[in-house]
Amino acid sequence: MAITSARPLGLLQRERALRPDLLLVLPYLALAAFGVLMVYTASAPRLSASGADPGFLMKRQAVFAVVGMVVFVVASMIESRPLKGKVPLIYLGTLVLLLLVLTPLGASRLGANRWIELGPFQLQPSEFAKLGVILALAALLSESVEGPLRWHHLARTAVLMGIPSVLIFLQPDLGTMLVFAFIAATVLFVAGTTWRQLVFLVLVAVVGTIGLLQANALKDYQLTRIVAFMDDTSDLSATANYNQEQSVTAIGSGGFLGKGLLQGTQTNLSFVPEQETDFIFTAVGEQLGFVGAVTVLALYLVLIWRLLVASANARDRFSQLLAVGVAALMVFHVFVNVGMTLRVMPVTGLPLPFLSSGGSAFIAMSAALGLGHGVWMRRSPVPGERQLL
Amino acid sequence: MPGRSTPARNLRLVIVLVGILVAWTGLGYRLVGVQALDAARWEASGSAQWVREEALPAVRGTIYDRDGIELAVTVDAVTVVADPSLVTRPRLTARLVAPVVGLKRAELVAKLAADSRFAYVARGISADTADHIERLIERHELTGLSFITEPVRTYPAGTLASQVVGFVMSDTEQGLEGLELVLDEHLTGTPGTQVIERDRFGVPIPQGMYTIEPAVQGADVVLTIDREIQYAAERYLTEALETTGAAAGTVVVQHVATGELLAVASAPGFDPNNRTEISPETVRNRAVADVYEPGSTLKVVTIAAALDEGLVTPSSRFDVPDELLIHDKVYTDTGRTGPEEMTLARIVARSSNIGTIAVQQLLGNRLHHQYLERFGLGESTTSGMPGEAPGQLQPVEQWCSTTCGPSTAIGYRVGVTPLQMAAVFATIANGGVWVQPHIVSEIIPSSGERIVTVPVQRSVISEDTARTMQLMLQGVVDSGTGTRAAVDGYTVGGKTGTTEKWMPEEVRYSATARIASFIGFAPVNDPQVVIAVVLDSPHGDVPGSSPNSLGEYPRFEFGGVSAAPVFASVAEATLHQLGVPPDGS
Repeated sequence: MAITSARPLGLLQRERALRPDLLLVLPYLALAAFGVLMVYTASAPRLSASGADPGFLMKRQAVFAVVGMVVFVVASMIESRPLKGKVPLIYLGTLVLLLLVLTPLGASRLGANRWIELGPFQLQPSEFAKLGVILALAALLSESVEGPLRWHHLARTAVLMGIPSVLIFLQPDLGTMLVFAFIAATVLFVAGTTWRQLVFLVLVAVVGTIGLLQANALKDYQLTRIVAFMDDTSDLSATANYNQEQSVTAIGSGGFLGKGLLQGTQTNLSFVPEQETDFIFTAVGEQLGFVGAVTVLALYLVLIWRLLVASANARDRFSQLLAVGVAALMVFHVFVNVGMTLRVMPVTGLPLPFLSSGGSAFIAMSAALGLGHGVWMRRSPVPGERQLL
Repeated sequence: MPGRSTPARNLRLVIVLVGILVAWTGLGYRLVGVQALDAARWEASGSAQWVREEALPAVRGTIYDRDGIELAVTVDAVTVVADPSLVTRPRLTARLVAPVVGLKRAELVAKLAADSRFAYVARGISADTADHIERLIERHELTGLSFITEPVRTYPAGTLASQVVGFVMSDTEQGLEGLELVLDEHLTGTPGTQVIERDRFGVPIPQGMYTIEPAVQGADVVLTIDREIQYAAERYLTEALETTGAAAGTVVVQHVATGELLAVASAPGFDPNNRTEISPETVRNRAVADVYEPGSTLKVVTIAAALDEGLVTPSSRFDVPDELLIHDKVYTDTGRTGPEEMTLARIVARSSNIGTIAVQQLLGNRLHHQYLERFGLGESTTSGMPGEAPGQLQPVEQWCSTTCGPSTAIGYRVGVTPLQMAAVFATIANGGVWVQPHIVSEIIPSSGERIVTVPVQRSVISEDTARTMQLMLQGVVDSGTGTRAAVDGYTVGGKTGTTEKWMPEEVRYSATARIASFIGFAPVNDPQVVIAVVLDSPHGDVPGSSPNSLGEYPRFEFGGVSAAPVFASVAEATLHQLGVPPDGS
């Protein structure tokens, strides 16, 4: 993967004046600001009830948002070729972080080791690992410039994805493993798998799922969630479905226009667990109703569409696959998270990008989005842009 | 190769985008379903879990005697409860606390070590006991015990009128016996409703509590009972059970003019504050629940009827043999040895069976039965006390033509309650007007109209007949079978009664057990009270007594011997309590 260039460029060196894609930047800023507001409405009543500063989590989230935006701007500036050169280093760094989580440095919360304590903050390496995996995939698959992928690409992709997946599995974090798989599938598809290879991948996915279930490799709670999700009447569902029951109730009670900010009784009374993190969408649905929920989904759709447009107009193969990978990351998080709050997806610990409270996810997502944005800014100089649809 | 992606790859991006649009459409479709179509349902199930309607308890009404003294009252009492999961030293705790609350140590250890979050340690304890336990908790740093207040029904007067007042279920305050049972609807009140908004942890939200409907407190009930007279009745009745060996007994004190029941005593009794004493025997309100054959006391109806019909006068003379054979039955008079000519007054004073039968023969069954009915026999007095028996009075059509009339005339073949008999005598004492005896003076709801009892009245015999009867009954006490009923300073009228006890299980009369009674009134010149005393199975010789002219020793089996003295004691106390001026020697 050595990069040869007549005129080596630094990571942030500019070739020409870059102009931002407002259709991507504005929804991003809107979601970030909206997220800070939603975190406040979802956490203030509970915090003030326990005598704490009601704005504590909101302020923290605002700090994360500002840091995230800076990261977004910096990531937008990064040149693709020197970045591709650093991919092996980034990939290795990711693996080291994931390993650290499993050492005594890792912090355990709710039965999983997913965090590294950093003073007052906890770093969640799996959020950054998603970006690392995207970069690695893009770098690997951009080697095949023309024609369909070869089988060895699939094999190398499997190895590249397998190592971090095993580390993630040990945490355990089923949601992140699924993110890896979805990103890999999407990037492979766009990179040019043959139809035969696609069929093979689907078969591997089916066999792998059955194998996991047969080998009792899943934790009890993971199985419980899935069984409860698939069978409403099972005994397990009473407790395992509690979160989703509460979440659908809250969203449904919002109706068309919602109950108004801080008027959400289900949210205010803390009926919905994890409501400022994974279940933040319930706060949107209850307080702002159908209108608010659809607006949020529309903002994500615009972001994702712009990433795909960036991909279509990318000036090189690596950039193209990078943008697709970032789009896939967003799609999976939004769809699974929102689907979970609407009880059409099982419960997985995937945050809603830019809305859920939490620093690692916000910053990692901002970095990913920034890289995708950079692909657009340095798009192919050929006139006439492809808008896809 | 710098440059634009190939059309083939572009197509794949389009496929990805279409897939995304499909996914987003799916989410939107689900949102429409949840937020537009089912919104009302979710809204309802949402509020159902944080808004709860709860009952606002209504305080149970108080039961007072006629002077406003509390007989049954609901107070806030301290209850000690435990959260066993927080009790760190159950053995030590039980060793210290068990003796204070009157529990066995092992029993309390079991409660405190249970795998639960709640257990009663002691309910309704006194303030002193609570202080004691609090000091123990502080000194020994006991954990897991706490105090709550609960409404507890208490009976400050203890055993007093306990069969009348009754009692409630200790947990729910629901009436179980006595007036607590029949007046439950009035005493309970109506619980209100309040709405309490709670969060997920069940903690009420400030300002989230409001009352929809206030609780209507239970009505207070004022009884006609006079605590002092009730106390005297119970005291002398209990003493009589000891001295005469009677198994049970009852005393009814009825105010003549109003029908108010000043005392309704039954023995043996119980203390409603102490549930261990409660048994069917002690709970029984014998004044209305026990049906017995009244014997000689019922002769007043036979005599009064004949007088009222103008068939006889007090001085009418009868030849009275010492034995009378009717059909297959021989009637006798106690203490008689030969035939005798008697006036009607003498027949009453001597309580002659054969003389009374002679009067009944003049009267006839049909008229006799009419008067029995008008005196209120065979139907409940509707005094307001629960479990009141109607007694038994056979329709006259079913009376046999031979012994039925004669036997009824002397108080057999008729089932009565002590209260019915008190009402019969009150009719005579009241100038011939029957007044419905009653126990509830008024019901005072927390809002709205008071319910004042207005007793039913009906004229049974003429005032003249009544007056004549009063004077003849005075003769019973002055010089007849009831001399032991005399009260110092007052004129007294009354009638003794002694009957063989009917044994329903064996369908025969007992060879030895007797029902002894005395029912009378005082003062004769202006009757104020009627007192009925009925003793079940008194027996034995009266200690230190001398034989009569026939060489017979007085025995407690006779109403004039066992019941009449109880009457005298209760009458004296009652007349003093009511401030009735003495009218006799």
